[in-house]
Parts: sequence; C-alpha cells; structure tokens
Amino acid sequence: MSALASTRTVLTLLVVGLLATFPLWGSAYFVGRVFSPALFLGIAALSLAFLAGYGGMISLAQMTVFGLAGYGYGVLTVTHGQPWWVGVIGGLAVATLAAFLFGLVAVRTRGIYFLMITLALGMVVYALANQNRSVFGGHTGILGIRAPEVSGHLLTERALFYELCLAVALASYLGVRYLLRTPFGLALQAVRDNPRRLAALGYHVALHRLAAFTLAGFLAAWGGLLGVWYNGAISPTTIDVTRLINVLVMAVIGGLASVEGAFLGALAFVLVTNFASSFTERFNTVIGLTFLAIVLFSPEGLSGLLARPVELLRRQSRARRARDELDELGVQQAVGRQDE
Amino acid sequence: MTWTQFVTVTLNGLTLAALYFLVAVGFTLIFGLMRVVNLAHGSLYLFGGYVGWTVAERSGNWILGAVTAAVVAAVAGLALQQALLRPIQGQDLREALVTIGVSIVAADLMLAQWGGFTYGFSPPRAISGGARLPVLDIGYPRYRLFLLAFALVVGLVLWLLLTRTRLGITIRAAIDDRDMVSAVGVNVQRLFALMFAFGAGLAGLAGVVGGSAFSIASGEDARYLLASLIVVIIGGMGSLPGTAVASLLVALVEQYSLALFPTYAAIVSFLLMVVVLAVRPQGLFGRPA
Repeated sequence: MSALASTRTVLTLLVVGLLATFPLWGSAYFVGRVFSPALFLGIAALSLAFLAGYGGMISLAQMTVFGLAGYGYGVLTVTHGQPWWVGVIGGLAVATLAAFLFGLVAVRTRGIYFLMITLALGMVVYALANQNRSVFGGHTGILGIRAPEVSGHLLTERALFYELCLAVALASYLGVRYLLRTPFGLALQAVRDNPRRLAALGYHVALHRLAAFTLAGFLAAWGGLLGVWYNGAISPTTIDVTRLINVLVMAVIGGLASVEGAFLGALAFVLVTNFASSFTERFNTVIGLTFLAIVLFSPEGLSGLLARPVELLRRQSRARRARDELDELGVQQAVGRQDE
Repeated sequence: MTWTQFVTVTLNGLTLAALYFLVAVGFTLIFGLMRVVNLAHGSLYLFGGYVGWTVAERSGNWILGAVTAAVVAAVAGLALQQALLRPIQGQDLREALVTIGVSIVAADLMLAQWGGFTYGFSPPRAISGGARLPVLDIGYPRYRLFLLAFALVVGLVLWLLLTRTRLGITIRAAIDDRDMVSAVGVNVQRLFALMFAFGAGLAGLAGVVGGSAFSIASGEDARYLLASLIVVIIGGMGSLPGTAVASLLVALVEQYSLALFPTYAAIVSFLLMVVVLAVRPQGLFGRPA
C-alpha cells in the first residue's frame, strides 16, 4: 500500500510538473487551442461532476451559469466601461446569484425531474439572452470583451493564459477534493444516498443541496470568466442547448462521478471537436455516438477505463465486492431508489 | 392593446397551445407510463416535419406527407425504445442520457440531410387561406383554426381512449402501478412499445401539422423540447388534463407577454414555472412522487 501511495505522489508531481511546463515544450497550437479551452471547460464539467457524482444532481444549467459570468463581465466592462476587477467580481456575483436562484427552484426535485428543470431553466435563459437587446445584446451578444491587463501583459497571451487556466483548474480541483472531505461534503454525499435518513437525523436536506448548487455555480463562474476572455465576446450561442449538453457529454466521457474525469472528458471533447472536424463535417455525430457508447457500455467513462488497472492492483482481494458496489452508472447510486 | 389585437393574440395563443399539446402529450404519456424522459422528443418532431415535407413535396399530397411523418416517426421511436432503452429499462437517468445522445446524433444527421434551410408546407386548399371571424370581423388564417380543431379532436379521442376503452384502462392502471398490471397478466413490454411508438408518431405528426402553421428548420427540435418540458413540468407528468391545461397556460402567457413586453417574454415563462413549482412541485395535475 505504501509503495503504491508513494508511486501515486510521484505520478501526481510528474503530471503537475508536465502540465505546468507545458508551454515550454508543447506546441503553440496545443497550448493555446486545446489545453487552455479544455481546462476552462473542464472547470464547468467539474462543477457538474461534483453535483452529479456527490450531490446526486445532474444539472444541465452549468453552462448557463458559466455563460452568465461571461455576460456579467462583458456588460460591466464593455457596456458600462468599468475596470476589469469590477467585471470579475460582478461576473462571479451574477453567476453565483443565478445559480442560487436556479437552486431555489430546482433542489426540491430529484433525479430526472431535476435534470428536466435545470434543462428548462437553461433554455429559458438562452431565450431571454436571445430576445433581450438592452442588457444581453440580443442575438449578437456582447463583442469586444477584453481580458484584464496585468503589468503590461494581457492575460490572454498564450502561455500566460494557459498558466492562469491551469492555476484556476488546479485550485478548483483541490477545492472540490477538500470540500468532499469536510463535514459538509460528507453530509452532501449522505443526502445523495439517503435524503430521508439525513432529514430524520436533523439535517436540512434542501439547504445542503442548495448550498452545493450555489457553490458549483461559483465554480462554473470561474470557468466562465476564463472562457469569455478566451473568446473575447459572448453571445447566446455560448449557452444554447447544444453547449448545455456538451458539458454533460464532457463529464460523462470523463466519468460522471469523477473529479479528475471532468478535465479528462473536457480534453477528449476538445480533441474530438478539433480533429474530427478536420476529416469529417459530422463531428457532432462522432461526439454523440461516443457519448452513447459510454453511457451504454462504460458508464464510468474514461477515468473508469484508466483507473481499472490501478483498481485491480489495489483491490485484488476485494475485486468481487467492488464490482458489485460500483453500480453500472456512477450516478445510479447517487439517485437512490427513493424516486420510485 | 385594442380589442382586435387582443383577439388575435388570444387566437395565436390558443393555436400555439394546440401545437404544444400535440407535441407534449406523447412526451408526458411516455413519461407517465415508463418513467422515461425522452429528450429526443424534439428530434422526433423535427424528423417528422422533414420527412413529411419531403413526401408532401414529391407527391404533392399534404395528407400523405402527414401520415408518412407519423408512421416514420413512430417506427423511429419504436427502434429507439427497443434497441437502446429496453436493455437499460428502469434506470431512468441513464435512459434520459441515452435519449440526449440520440438527440445530438439526430440533430447532426438531419442537418446533413436537410441542411440549415427553412421549409414551409402548403396544406390542402380547404384548410388554407384566410377566414373572417364573426366577432369583430377579424381576418385569421384558416389553417391555424384547423390546428386548433385538430388538437381538440386528438385530445378528445385520447381522453375517450384512456377512459372508455380496455386498452386505456390498462394504460392508466400501468401508470399507477405497473408491477401490479404485469402481475395480473398484461404484457407490459408490449404496452410500453405501443405507447412509445404512439407518442413518437404523434410528435412526428405534430412536425407536419405544426410545421405547416409555422415552419420547419434545424433548431426547432430544441424549441419544442423546451415547450414539452415546460408543459409537463407545469401540468404534472403523465396527466392528460394537466398537459391540456398547461399547454393553454404556457402558450397564452407566452403570446400575451410577447405582445406586451417582447424582450422579457422568456422571463415570464420562467416565472410561471417557478410559481407552479413553488406551490405544487409535482405540477398542477401531478400526483406527489
């Protein structure tokens, strides 16, 4: 076990080191066009994986929150000409508040109801952004959004932006890992497994879920800020139904209940969209089929596939039990059977 | 708002409600019976519309187009249910995810086949053109009135089917307690397949009937999926009267708010959903879960 633990530490250091030095040895294209977007999209996917895997809430509104942070930043800095830090604070505040409001509506429901309501909420915000010219800029959205400038460097310079994305992604990854070990995180997982029992123990179930949903919104908002800097503009297309679902696709490809998987899924997604589009116009079909294959045949996603050999080594003796425990879908346990 | 405007907006709301009802009723019945949230329902609507348009254009026969659309969508729905959903039956979230995957692929393939164009139908002469209403002498497209009548007939037939026939009684019993229905010797699997094909066929038919009132273009799948979602969330899942009432409510509210404050209309449907969920989380006609 200890040998395995130290191997793990070495591996972790190696991965972090490789990632941090990536702009030095990686190709410009991969740094700027593949890894950077994969990191900020991964943050959105992480917020979903956190909700789905540990809170039992599959939210399709994560991209909406992501987009609202971008809109908040854009409206404040472009429309109202505020400095960038006002935009950052405002964007985070708007998105987190929106997540809180969505949460108020949605947390009383569970399972597929929750999925449907968050999907409907996300689509309503899209419709609003598309119709409303005065605030959201209608179909065009908000153009000419500039990233913050720190001591003469625009944060969207390739290597700098990559390191920024990596830093935020690492912070959110570690933050989520930490959160899951706190009493709040443990209570949240208990709420996922058996809300009734938790309620009987005196926990406020809806409040826990609402807090988790708001926190996940705050996380997605960080991804949204990075995303809007990267794109330099925001339009309703950023939050249309395809994008809402894409985040789910990333999280599912990575393994819906996996914190690392979120980034892995985002990376796979960005790679497929970038490269499949060069040899076929139908890359959405490729993505859809991949998603279907994973949902049907390998519900733990890529991280499940990668973790399998490690898992075998570690739990050889408990292999049979582990197989029973790991339900076909990571979320299956999350949903619980209370819905029936 | 003048009286003429008011009547026109109301009629627009009513006809839109008719379309929402046609689309959402299959969605809610499938959900009620099988606990499957078919997020590819909008795709079936769009698919029916495209197929219907192609057939109607080639044959010059609108009715043939509508019938073909219903049949083809029903077969597609049946294939989806038998091939992809049946193996994972009972895992409701996974089933929802599968239908999401199908909707992604379907949207892309339909875009490849029919492109990003907007298609318009030409319904038979008997139901197209304008009509003069006896009240206030308002002119209104005859087709929209046909749509309203059509949805009323479909609703009535469904209601009679569900309350007056043996099949309907079995279906309602299965909605309430499918294990018990299965235990008394009903082939529930056949019932599921039938219901899925029926709901899908209705969505495909709505693609032609609704597409003739508005138009058919890529992206409409998402629009009608949203409409179905809001209608069943508000009306209560699996309830026929709930679907009818919620369709009316959603469509009327949508049209009135579009007429009164166009840029914030989306917020109003959001608020409607919020109010209903706050008071009755299970929807207006839903039973507590």
